[in-house]
Amino acid sequence: MMAPRTETLGEKEAEVFRPEIVVLFCQHCVVPDADLSVATMATSRFRARLVMMPCTSKVEPSHLLKILAEGADGIQVVGCPHRQCRRLDGNLRAEKRIEYVRRLLHQIRMGAERLGMERGLDFSGLQLMLLAERRANAVKPLGRNPMQEERIK
Amino acid sequence: MKLRSGSRLERVLAAGHFAVTVEVGPPQGPNPEVIRRKAEWLRGVADAYNVTDNQTAVVRLSSIAGAKLLLEAGLEPVMQTTCRDRNRIALQSDLLGASALGIKNCLCLSGDHQKASASGKLKGHPGAKNVYDVDSIQLLAILQGMRDQAVQASGDPLEQPAPFFIGAAWTPLATPESFRTLRLAKKIEAGADFIQTQAVFDVARFAAAVKKAREMGLCDRVAILAGIVVPRSARMLRYLNERVPGVEVPEELIRRMEAATQPAAEGKKIAKELIEAVRVIPGVRGVHLQAIENEAVLPEIIQSADLLPRPELNAEPARAASIRNR
Amino acid sequence: MIIAESKPILELVHQLSGRRRILLTGCACCVAECAAGGEREVETLAPLLRLALKVEGHSLEILTKTVERQCEWEFVEELAELIPQADAVLSLACGIGVQAVAERFPEIPVYPGVNTTSLALREEPGLWAARCQACGDCVLGETFGLCPIARCAKSLQNGPCGGTRKNGKCEVDENVDCVWNLIVERAAAKGRLESLLRIRQPKDWSNSHHGGPKRMLREDLRP
Repeated sequence: MMAPRTETLGEKEAEVFRPEIVVLFCQHCVVPDADLSVATMATSRFRARLVMMPCTSKVEPSHLLKILAEGADGIQVVGCPHRQCRRLDGNLRAEKRIEYVRRLLHQIRMGAERLGMERGLDFSGLQLMLLAERRANAVKPLGRNPMQEERIK
Repeated sequence: MKLRSGSRLERVLAAGHFAVTVEVGPPQGPNPEVIRRKAEWLRGVADAYNVTDNQTAVVRLSSIAGAKLLLEAGLEPVMQTTCRDRNRIALQSDLLGASALGIKNCLCLSGDHQKASASGKLKGHPGAKNVYDVDSIQLLAILQGMRDQAVQASGDPLEQPAPFFIGAAWTPLATPESFRTLRLAKKIEAGADFIQTQAVFDVARFAAAVKKAREMGLCDRVAILAGIVVPRSARMLRYLNERVPGVEVPEELIRRMEAATQPAAEGKKIAKELIEAVRVIPGVRGVHLQAIENEAVLPEIIQSADLLPRPELNAEPARAASIRNR
Repeated sequence: MIIAESKPILELVHQLSGRRRILLTGCACCVAECAAGGEREVETLAPLLRLALKVEGHSLEILTKTVERQCEWEFVEELAELIPQADAVLSLACGIGVQAVAERFPEIPVYPGVNTTSLALREEPGLWAARCQACGDCVLGETFGLCPIARCAKSLQNGPCGGTRKNGKCEVDENVDCVWNLIVERAAAKGRLESLLRIRQPKDWSNSHHGGPKRMLREDLRP
């Protein structure tokens, strides 16, 4: 398992697009002692914010859109495998809502790929970061989220 | 018994002949020559000629104008009228106009909904506001009132009655089949004098439906003309079977068309055989032939079914036995 | 209840392009029930609109407020203090609510955010289907509780047309039951098929919109 590189960054930072990815992950799909501090480790390729949720069923279209409106370049939702949701089919509902928002993002020309979902169990902090990177790679061709301009300087 | 309209179709049926009607499709344009040309192809092969009314909700030259053009060409029209596009005011007005122009036969239909237009390549007008102020059975009753009591739907009088021979459609094999003969009874009660059915391919099932109608005494009160559509290909038959409600095509007919080396010729043969098969069903008083956008093939089919020449009638309305025992 | 559906987002973007700050209003009644215009939808549409406009190069501020019902003056009044802060209102209420807001606040442009379509029943979660056409002359007792005016594409009153599919669905929409097929089945089940033989006369549409914009006055309830 490769660790994300932790180089220091130079002047190049301003030019290279390092997508900012918010990872919404279900508490039940990570190992109990997952080291989430990995998110603070800088990488040259992307930035990630790890947010734990009680279940992906709690994901709402409004949350996802608000996160994007606040400037995140992409969102990676991480949940349990199909038949293993603690709330029966919560992760299936999450999938439907995510599909709905992806369609909206496509319609408004932001790009459906800014949002996606991955599934699995027993993820470590590092593995969450790899999933974040996967989303970052999908987001790169779409460019920066124009809402970043509106962030208070 | 006094004739209701004196139309040729009515008189042919009253005289006890097996009637023939054919369908003439108007053009999607204002050129009257299209109708005149079809009139020439079809002169003498039928007792009356149906002009469709914006069939499948596709805009075409109106049935009243088409009917008038046929009259001018010396053919007797059956004006088809749907409830989709006109309210009761326009319907009655158009019927008065049709009567004034000499049109005597009218087929009353609900009309295909504009969102279910069958003409795949055309855009049609799915966004149009539909009317359906009255349904086909109410329209039959309105026509009967205009003819027999010289009244409008409202009860207001008409200066004179409008003499029509009133037609309705019947789709005996559509779901719910159990209700279809009752619906036929309703149409007769409302005023139908003659019926043109949906296309018949499954003769046995059609015969069974006519038998039920007969047992209810309906065949004494109305003249049923079996609908015959001339098939052109196996694909057309399959389309009709799968996509057109109430049309049941036996598998063997489809296979026969598939096996045919000349499908068009085979189709004409099938049409002829269907005519002959329905002719012997007691209660069936004629056929209504449709060859969609292919009217030119109808004369030879009618000829091959031994239905030509059409009977000569006396100049005066026949005094033959009545067709109704009302 | 009244059902509505979200307008296509690009239509709203086009409508709001010139605006700087809008008031996005929701309604907690019918449109909330059909997930088109309640608080949740307001919370979803606000960031979506801002994103959509930003992609086009516009910045839009959005104030939000959802009221109990936009068809009641007392709740519309709750918008009063926010109205002066915006240059347009985008209302997710049904057409009634949008007009109530526009009537109470004529000084500000009011735009609809949903398309109001029908009076419907929620058959299942996520599925609403029309049940009433507000014809003003209800005769449901004659058709065993099934309305052919609202549920038949042709509003037929005397039985099914020839367009009923073999599976009992309507020719116009394969997902819609032929209501006359349902009526016949219900009549048959009760042994009352004969009752459908009676010819229903042309309907009097004058108590509906066809007779002019409806105005209902109850003298006994006037102040």
